Amino acid sequence: MRKVWIAVLAVLGALAFGQQELKAGWLYVGPIGDYGWTHAHDVGRREAAAAFPWLKTIYVENVPEGQAGSYIDQMVRQGVKVIFATSFGYMDAVLEAAKRYPDVIFAHATGFKRAPNVATYMADFYQVFYLNGLMAGALTKTGKVGYVAAFPIPELKRHINAFTLGVRAANPKAKVLVRWIYEWYNPAAAKEATEALIAEGADVFAFTEDSPTVVQVAAEKGFPSFSHYSPMLKFAPDHVVSGQLVHWGVIYKDFLAKVYAGLYTPKNLEDVDYWWLLPQGAVELGADFGVPINPKFAGRLKAKAVNHPIFGEINVYDLVMKLHGLMKDVELAFDPFQGPIKDRRGILRVPEGLRLTKHQLETMEWAVEGVVGPWPNEPKK
Amino acid sequence: MVEDWLVATLARGLAFAAPLLFAALGELVAERSGVINLGVEGMMILGALMAFVVADASASPWLGVLAAAGVGALAALLHAFFAVTLRANQYVSGLALTMVGLGLSGLFGRAYAGKPLAHPLPKWDVPLLKELPWIGPGVFEGQSALLYLGLLLALGLSVFLHQTRPGIHLRSVGENPAAADALGVNVYLVRYLAVVFGGAMAGVAGAYLSVAYRPSWTEGMTAGMGWIALAIVIFAAWEPLRAVLAAFLFGAFYHLAYRFQGVLPPEFLKMTPYLFTILFLVLSALGKSVRLGAPEALGRPYVRGER
Repeated sequence: MRKVWIAVLAVLGALAFGQQELKAGWLYVGPIGDYGWTHAHDVGRREAAAAFPWLKTIYVENVPEGQAGSYIDQMVRQGVKVIFATSFGYMDAVLEAAKRYPDVIFAHATGFKRAPNVATYMADFYQVFYLNGLMAGALTKTGKVGYVAAFPIPELKRHINAFTLGVRAANPKAKVLVRWIYEWYNPAAAKEATEALIAEGADVFAFTEDSPTVVQVAAEKGFPSFSHYSPMLKFAPDHVVSGQLVHWGVIYKDFLAKVYAGLYTPKNLEDVDYWWLLPQGAVELGADFGVPINPKFAGRLKAKAVNHPIFGEINVYDLVMKLHGLMKDVELAFDPFQGPIKDRRGILRVPEGLRLTKHQLETMEWAVEGVVGPWPNEPKK
Repeated sequence: MVEDWLVATLARGLAFAAPLLFAALGELVAERSGVINLGVEGMMILGALMAFVVADASASPWLGVLAAAGVGALAALLHAFFAVTLRANQYVSGLALTMVGLGLSGLFGRAYAGKPLAHPLPKWDVPLLKELPWIGPGVFEGQSALLYLGLLLALGLSVFLHQTRPGIHLRSVGENPAAADALGVNVYLVRYLAVVFGGAMAGVAGAYLSVAYRPSWTEGMTAGMGWIALAIVIFAAWEPLRAVLAAFLFGAFYHLAYRFQGVLPPEFLKMTPYLFTILFLVLSALGKSVRLGAPEALGRPYVRGER
């Protein structure tokens, strides 16, 4: 349905503007070759460029967060009308530039500050993390699931919490051991953190770091793992169970089509905030595109039965598929952060019958029960 | 429990030390000849990419390691030309090499990002020695053969520097090139050879990362290890065997930083490898006749007839 809309908008736009060209620019925080965050944004950029003949795209890699302003100046000088800033740290630079260039449209990924010509967008994984957690809980034999994490910020805390809720739904006694590496991209740190978790007895692994390191290290020892961001099944075909994948292209195409059609202008973006999840197709469950669960693990997941409050006695494989179906539905019949949920200090964070708002999800600092390890900024009340 | 910790710390410390050791030993030789090369990071990453590309194409990881040594040596040759022949500022030339290396490898490596390596360097268990208690599983099991080569290289270099005539020539060139020249040592040749050797070893260090430690290519995968290797040369007071100790300590504390995360604040643990490595080496040097100074002529181009 969305594809039809985009096509219609694109045609309308073409009619309204004749053969006018739209130039869009991307600011990347890392190298395209990272096979993680920046790589995924670039895949999205190329998708958009291929979809729209009227679109011209340019990009700059390795833009330091403190110097985004001058790179934006350069882009504007080159005639760029839409700028995508793809790192949280660009936030203030984007808002300042938006004042300097009131006729340019800005879109800032993962941010929360908007302006008449600044929109924000995010493809979030928390639903997918819950499903991966269910599988991890079913697969751990030691009851210890390892998680290698980049920075202790709300985004990762939300993901680890969703993951842990999944783990505990499949295996109420299991724990999730967390190790922080304080870097988005550092293969050596990710490797040593994984080795440390292995030494602590973890036997299933998930992570947030921009390389396939954790998957490779776990596979060396024969342990299952979950891929992150880019498809990593090919790095360990027998050991990657599933994972989280992103489709930034879906957001870029939607956004640019609306700009071209004149729906988005530099004056009406104050409330434009993409928070796209499974229903919009911005994220996907899988070890590779189109492989939600590695068939090699189907047997072990079907052998693990749990007693589920909605579905009763059900095996984990079917449970993942059913909940996946529910969360893909725009009605959102299921959400991982469905109360009652207590944090690991025993404080009730989500009351019975309630869910969290987007703002609460975006500012989450507490840790759910079952998370073991340091948790900077953990609230005491 | 204690055994687990000890074995894991030994094993992880050494595995992490291997690339640092190669890069540090290479740089140590270059610096002993009086030439500082800040291009270690750049030569390392060129080596990492070259090793991956060749290992991927030829299905032979060892050929990859060899090619990495070659590309590292070639890059170092460029530095030697600037630093020795043109007598340019060595710091600037080295930094330029790092930037060029990072840039070039990013550009040419794009096609290889996200590609698994079918034939990585195999792990090698040392027969008999692996049966030893504690040391066996910690040191002689599950490590890459490159690690043992690195340890042997350190031993060999230590003997070379202190016991052989060419080794003494090398040192004299780094301490007092005019005197060495007067004695008939070809200062330029020795410096060229030392710098090129350093580059080859930095290339091997990069190869270890991309075909053994984590068999794949990603841009910027050396992630600052070249700079740590440069620091290790200083911590080690330009002695090969102390470089082994320094690299191992760094690796061991790097591992322990993740083991202790449950107990101590991670922000503090993040700096412990640097802190404890320096502390330990300084303490171990106290009261002994370990010279802590750099080679006299380090960083100074040699001009014949000038003093």
